[in-house]
Amino acid sequence: MSLQALRTAGPGRTVVLSGNEAIARGAMEAGLAYAAAYPGSPSSEVLASLAAMARERGFHAEWSTNEKVAMEGAAAASFAGLRSITIMKADGLNVAMDFLTSLAYSGTRGGMVVVVSDDPGAHSSTKEEDTRYLVRASHLPLVEPATVDEAKEMTRWAFELSEEVGLPVMLRSVTRIAHARGSVDLGALQAPPRTARYDPGARYFTTSALHPLLHQRAESARERFETSPFNSYQGPADARRLVIVTGPGFTYAVEAVELLGVSGEVGVLKLATTWPLPERLLLSHLGHAREVLFLEEIEPFMETEVKALWAQHAASLGAIAFLGKASGHVAGAAGPAIGELTPEIVIQAVSALAGRPFEPRAPEFRRKVEETRLPELPARALAFCAGCPHRASYWAIKAALELDGRDGVVLGDIGCYTLGSMQTGYFTVKTVHAMGSSVGLASGFGKLSGFGFEQPVVAVVGDSTFYHAVVPALVNARYNDSRLLLAVLDNSTTAMTGHQPHPGTGRSATGEPAPPLPIESVARSLGLAVEIQDPLRTEETVESVYRLLQTDGAKVLILRSPCALLPWVKRSRRAMVDPERCIGEACGCARLCNRVFSCPALVWDSARGRARVDEVLCAGCGVCVDLCPREAIRLDAVA
Amino acid sequence: MAQRTVEAQRGGPRDLQARVLETGLCTACGACLGHCPYLKTLGERVAFIHPCPLPEGRCFEVCPRAALDPDRLDAQLAGAGPADPLLGPHLALHFARALDPEVKRRGQYGGVTTALTLFALGAGAAEAALLTGGSPTAAPHPVVARDRATALAAAGTKYSACATLAPLAPLLREGSAPLAVVGRPCQVAALRKLEARGEGGHRLALVIGVFCFWALTPPFYRFLASRADLAPATKMDIPKEGGVVFSVNGGAVRIPLDQVRPFIRPACQSCFDPTAEWADLAVGSTEYDPDWNTLVVRTARGQALVDGAVAAGALEVTPYPAERIPILRAAVRGKKIRVLAALEAGRAEAAYLEISPERRAALQPEAEGGA
Repeated sequence: MSLQALRTAGPGRTVVLSGNEAIARGAMEAGLAYAAAYPGSPSSEVLASLAAMARERGFHAEWSTNEKVAMEGAAAASFAGLRSITIMKADGLNVAMDFLTSLAYSGTRGGMVVVVSDDPGAHSSTKEEDTRYLVRASHLPLVEPATVDEAKEMTRWAFELSEEVGLPVMLRSVTRIAHARGSVDLGALQAPPRTARYDPGARYFTTSALHPLLHQRAESARERFETSPFNSYQGPADARRLVIVTGPGFTYAVEAVELLGVSGEVGVLKLATTWPLPERLLLSHLGHAREVLFLEEIEPFMETEVKALWAQHAASLGAIAFLGKASGHVAGAAGPAIGELTPEIVIQAVSALAGRPFEPRAPEFRRKVEETRLPELPARALAFCAGCPHRASYWAIKAALELDGRDGVVLGDIGCYTLGSMQTGYFTVKTVHAMGSSVGLASGFGKLSGFGFEQPVVAVVGDSTFYHAVVPALVNARYNDSRLLLAVLDNSTTAMTGHQPHPGTGRSATGEPAPPLPIESVARSLGLAVEIQDPLRTEETVESVYRLLQTDGAKVLILRSPCALLPWVKRSRRAMVDPERCIGEACGCARLCNRVFSCPALVWDSARGRARVDEVLCAGCGVCVDLCPREAIRLDAVA
Repeated sequence: MAQRTVEAQRGGPRDLQARVLETGLCTACGACLGHCPYLKTLGERVAFIHPCPLPEGRCFEVCPRAALDPDRLDAQLAGAGPADPLLGPHLALHFARALDPEVKRRGQYGGVTTALTLFALGAGAAEAALLTGGSPTAAPHPVVARDRATALAAAGTKYSACATLAPLAPLLREGSAPLAVVGRPCQVAALRKLEARGEGGHRLALVIGVFCFWALTPPFYRFLASRADLAPATKMDIPKEGGVVFSVNGGAVRIPLDQVRPFIRPACQSCFDPTAEWADLAVGSTEYDPDWNTLVVRTARGQALVDGAVAAGALEVTPYPAERIPILRAAVRGKKIRVLAALEAGRAEAAYLEISPERRAALQPEAEGGA
């Protein structure tokens, strides 16, 4: 994180920031007073940046238990007249959606910005959701930056817009903005006011009587969008071929037009204020265009809405060919509306629009590349790290279920441990949906015994997920006496999104001590039986899981061992394979240790025909020691 | 009976899974455990925790429920008495009892198994004994006894399917001293299959089999846990009549057999060997006099141990009452005939048995004329 760059006083300075840092800087330039988020890639670094600055800039920053709570906190600050921001990934917006659609009716006071980062291509998500449809359903104004610099500027401006129209403003980022780096022209940092107050006469209600007001406010946003300087057009004033682009595809489009040499005939309309549609602006360009190409991520949202706009004005506009994802003209290898836009997809689409063939490389260049390139790295599946306690937990859960023999079902959740559905989790996890859903599903399965359902059910969640969304489902299971085993894979951090603290860790977002709320305290307070087990003690863990599977009702097993990547987890031991005891292929175990157990540190030494521990990778968890039937693996102390 | 030379049937993990584990034939003897990291046991159930890719394996070859050929085991048993299709090879039939009062008190009936084990350990015939320990009201566990106290603590019959043989593989791997094993008939058969593979041949100095007509499943212990009156029970017995009897505070608490039958391990209904036919010594109840055990001496090695124990004053033996022999034979025949009928009907649960036509014929009641 470029804290120094974030701190730099403006204006007039240019620094390199990531998109997420740029959003944080924009908020600080707007005099932000309150920031709240739940981590989720690719959005996590916005709050991480703000939290790092919060104390010295005098604003509040928190990791909230979930996105809905984060948004509610930010709304409270707004009601008190402060500027607030809440940040989440697309999945998080789903969690917060009930409150967001209500907040749209009640409106806001201090500028409130809701940052949502979509993840086209699902680099670190279980699905690729286009949040623009949800924003449309909420009637709220939506802006979408195309560059890192614009992310900063638009964030700052979004607070002003929010106050002008009395609504929260949605700022949609995507992975290639959030995690890209670019030069940013700094403005002045603005200190938050010290004058929070709730006007005793103010009312913030959700009532259908306010629906007309919401429409009026959205219209007022549309009016401002019509002339927003964030929307821009480049190209001939009367271009018959028009590209309408939102988000990072803009830079690809400009490059494509330049590379193809069609800037004299193809116009590019960059749309940054995407909902409500700036209709007059669009109509002015549809008036001269006969072919329109849409470049957007992820779904054909703009394409559909502009076509609907055209339909209203078809008589005056005449025929236009609309090309995009809906029409199938903009597509990667997996098909349209799947994955990210890439420069290749964009240039092919612009090439087709302009009727200019595009040859990406001269044949000679391609031949030289083939000649000189290094062999490709072997493909690697997503895998648990060496020493990851989750691998040990899944080993034990799978073993216990096999020993139980009733075809037990493991329901997965969202976190590092979702890898339990893949090889290094032994394909143990059979369902994955939303945060906390494993427990809701388990609660349902646990009531099916009257229908002959005899299979034991294990829900697997992480520690952060436990606080986020598990508690209501657990209360439900307790209330309805559902039979389930909840395994909390507690690695003492929100590991998947970058080791953010959570209510159990005893630290706040800003690094200050916070009263820890242990998972066992919560679960016991619900009247549930709770056991705590170190998953690195494999045999005991198998027995614990097995024993709990034989009991009725809802019960909780906390499998607690810290993430091996945490800086405070010091390696004190290291596994070693005794070359005298390991008998290689003669063992008859068919290389269970490295073939099945799948620890990256436990490898096969082909030259010697023996297992070997990679001493650089080994975290000393010791689980492999219990696996070897020859007792050939031992733990040595690390000096 | 004509001796047959039968090749051991080859097989592997997939066969064990398909033919033994999935069919419910597994007796949780534990013979397949301790070598293989894929096979584990908990709750008296053996399972592969991951699929093993090997085509053939020890697990299948030592399994008493995979390709069990009584003729082959009869032929294998060194120093055995003449083959008998009902009672197995034997040299002598006795009533016997321990003379040590503590052994008598803690052991089952006459305490013969415990007395013989203690004698073997004390006399140096065995350096360690593999036994089954635990209270009568909770699932038992394997015990490796090297001293009197540990062996005494494991006295008394356990009525469920403990994987007693699980520690055997590491014991055989690590040391060289002679071992004694006390096991159920299925475990005795597994030990002989193990020997046939060349494992522990010189180490298994003494195999004592206990009569076993069936074992109970672990839910039996959950059933017992609901009975507070049984918590202090020190001994459990299933006499010929009167249900299941627990010794509690010097008295007896009885549970009707009908309440216990649902807990019988299904695999035991397919057992062809209730008297541990390939043990050196087999010990059971007399179903006649609770102060005594039935003791079947099957091998010369077993005979030597009994002789030594008697000479040392550890054991007292008396001839098996001739009039009781037909009763014993009838009980064994009844069990064998039921399983044989299943085999002849082609039912899967008996498919592990490889019975020669001669042995089949010998099991019929009319063939018993001269016994």
